Amino acid sequence: MPALLEICGLTAGLQSRRAITPVVSNVDLDVQPGEILGVVGESGCGKSTLAAAIMRLLVTPQVLQSGSATLRIDDDKAYDLLNLSENDLRQLRWRHLSYIPQGSMNSLNPVLRVERQMTDALLQRGLSKKEASDRAIAALELVSLEARLLDSYPHELSGGMRQRVIIAAAVSMHPTLIVADEITTALDVVTQRQILQELAAIRDELGATIIIITHDMGVVAQIADRVAVMYAGEIVEVGSVSDIFQQPLHPYSQGLIASIPRESGQRVEGLPGEAPSPWNYPAGCRFHPRCPKVFGRCREHAPASQPQGPDRWVACHLYDQETASDD
Amino acid sequence: MTANSDATAGNSAADGQAAGRREVFQYALRRFGVYLFTLWAAITVAFFIFRLVPGDPMNILLGNLTRAEGRQRDAAAEEAIIARYRQIFGMDEPLPLQYVNYLRKAVLGGLDLGPSFVEYPAQTKDLVFRRMPWTLGIFTTSVLLAWLVGTGLGALIGWLQRSRLSQLAVVISTLLQITPVYLVALGLIIYIGYTWRILPAGGPYARHLQPEWTWEFISSLLTHAILPMLSNMIVIGAGFTLGMRALMISVLGEDYLTFARAKGLSPFTVLKDYAFRNALIPQVTALAIIVGATLNGTFIIEVLFQLPGLGTLFVQAMGLRDFNTMQAVVLFSIFAVLTLTLIVDLALPLLDPRIRRTA
Repeated sequence: MPALLEICGLTAGLQSRRAITPVVSNVDLDVQPGEILGVVGESGCGKSTLAAAIMRLLVTPQVLQSGSATLRIDDDKAYDLLNLSENDLRQLRWRHLSYIPQGSMNSLNPVLRVERQMTDALLQRGLSKKEASDRAIAALELVSLEARLLDSYPHELSGGMRQRVIIAAAVSMHPTLIVADEITTALDVVTQRQILQELAAIRDELGATIIIITHDMGVVAQIADRVAVMYAGEIVEVGSVSDIFQQPLHPYSQGLIASIPRESGQRVEGLPGEAPSPWNYPAGCRFHPRCPKVFGRCREHAPASQPQGPDRWVACHLYDQETASDD
Repeated sequence: MTANSDATAGNSAADGQAAGRREVFQYALRRFGVYLFTLWAAITVAFFIFRLVPGDPMNILLGNLTRAEGRQRDAAAEEAIIARYRQIFGMDEPLPLQYVNYLRKAVLGGLDLGPSFVEYPAQTKDLVFRRMPWTLGIFTTSVLLAWLVGTGLGALIGWLQRSRLSQLAVVISTLLQITPVYLVALGLIIYIGYTWRILPAGGPYARHLQPEWTWEFISSLLTHAILPMLSNMIVIGAGFTLGMRALMISVLGEDYLTFARAKGLSPFTVLKDYAFRNALIPQVTALAIIVGATLNGTFIIEVLFQLPGLGTLFVQAMGLRDFNTMQAVVLFSIFAVLTLTLIVDLALPLLDPRIRRTA
């Protein structure tokens, strides 16, 4: 089956007066129809920039430098999201491409009622007032909210309710692809769990494909089918959730898995050091200063992403020999 | 009930609406209380401050009289005249009593603010009522027009913040905003009024006309009003433009704007419902603040353009230490400013649903 979304060489950075500082470098990623792909990484690793780049929602000084992201709809139509005109892209938004943003606290306009904010996009797509409001109510039901919330203003809702309203708004047109950016951050664990379950249910009911961006390995374990691990603006490992959790290949993934709290009394192992900022990405492998398994080549050459078995990719020199022997 | 209305989630819709209406009512009531208090405080301060200004009105009045009559000064007669006048103006009593009498007459006597010195025996009240339409006409019209133009222009240059034209507009507005209003007025008088003779530069209407409902008089009135209003508008409008631009730029960085764009709304809808709508709220508050801060500019403009408004009356009254008239001018200006501010304040909850709860 061809990928629903095929991201190729996506590079985005921060524009300053003189130069562009790369934040996301050369990301290649396939998203299969109907799956939930988790993109996981530390704060500042470029996950949100990646999401914004796919959604074409970068704001200055963020700029897209190169790359393509091909969205295939109904087998015959393909759109390169990164190079589509603003107007054509607007036709895809909400119908085929939806965005559930990070920071749900401020993503709703404080002075407009929920109904207005849920239906304005639908009305502009030619739905009647009745149809739009029916769809809004149906979408609210998907996230277990009552229809009377439509009359509320955002400040009258709790954080969890606001996040649900945003999810409902984003899925009201039954989109093909949903990009969800840190949607459970700043919510309590119980609400987090409920919202993730609702999101998984939405995928099952609407047949949507979801990219979920998070820093929380727990979220990935709970909801995702596949995982892409991001470090310092690059994808370092891709694989199914069970593969990555049971047998992480990249030392960074191993560190992330080891730092998940397990049973009580067992000490959590953290990763030493901190993630580099885009202004001083190290030469060679960007992870090498923190890597427990670092060796000579890591300091000079950046590792390329190589296949490791079916649907498994890793960018690490530890696995170089196998490729060399393949050659 | 209060606890219940806090947990909006658990309320029925009707309950919520009733609570909302009650909150709006309480808000209005509170605003009206503040309004009355401010009015009282202003008149009290005016009453005492003007009496601290050096110079006895009686002496000034008498000096003017003797100069006009050209007679020799007679000390005994002067004393008698001054005593008589003091009695008429109620100034023979101790200050606290004068204050109480003044308030009593003003409130209970149907706005009896005493006779004026400037045009004795005309009542101060009548004097002020005759002059007020000029001031209010020029002032309200120019501030409202400046607000409308400034808000529109500011929204536009904030939306197009990176274009050359909008950067140029920022520089020009900044220059205009820091220019004192009398310099702008003088510039307009000199160039447009005298050098190029495009518009009349002084007076309320052409000299040979009488106030009447004819087209000739009204058009003369309007053409004479253009320059005074323009001076006010240029300075105030530039401030409103800069303010609205800053508000737009900060709103453009909000998360809900990104979400609105992600919805695929047309750029016009994003501008109208998400950016402009939200930037407008502080801009309306700014209108309320500016209304109070720019009335004095209008007084200066009246003097420069020789308009028979409250400003010229105040300058006249000042020369005579005419307490009654000065107080009345202050009272009515404050009344006008407070009323405009109150209207703005009451309009705010209509724009911003959050105010109904927090105010």
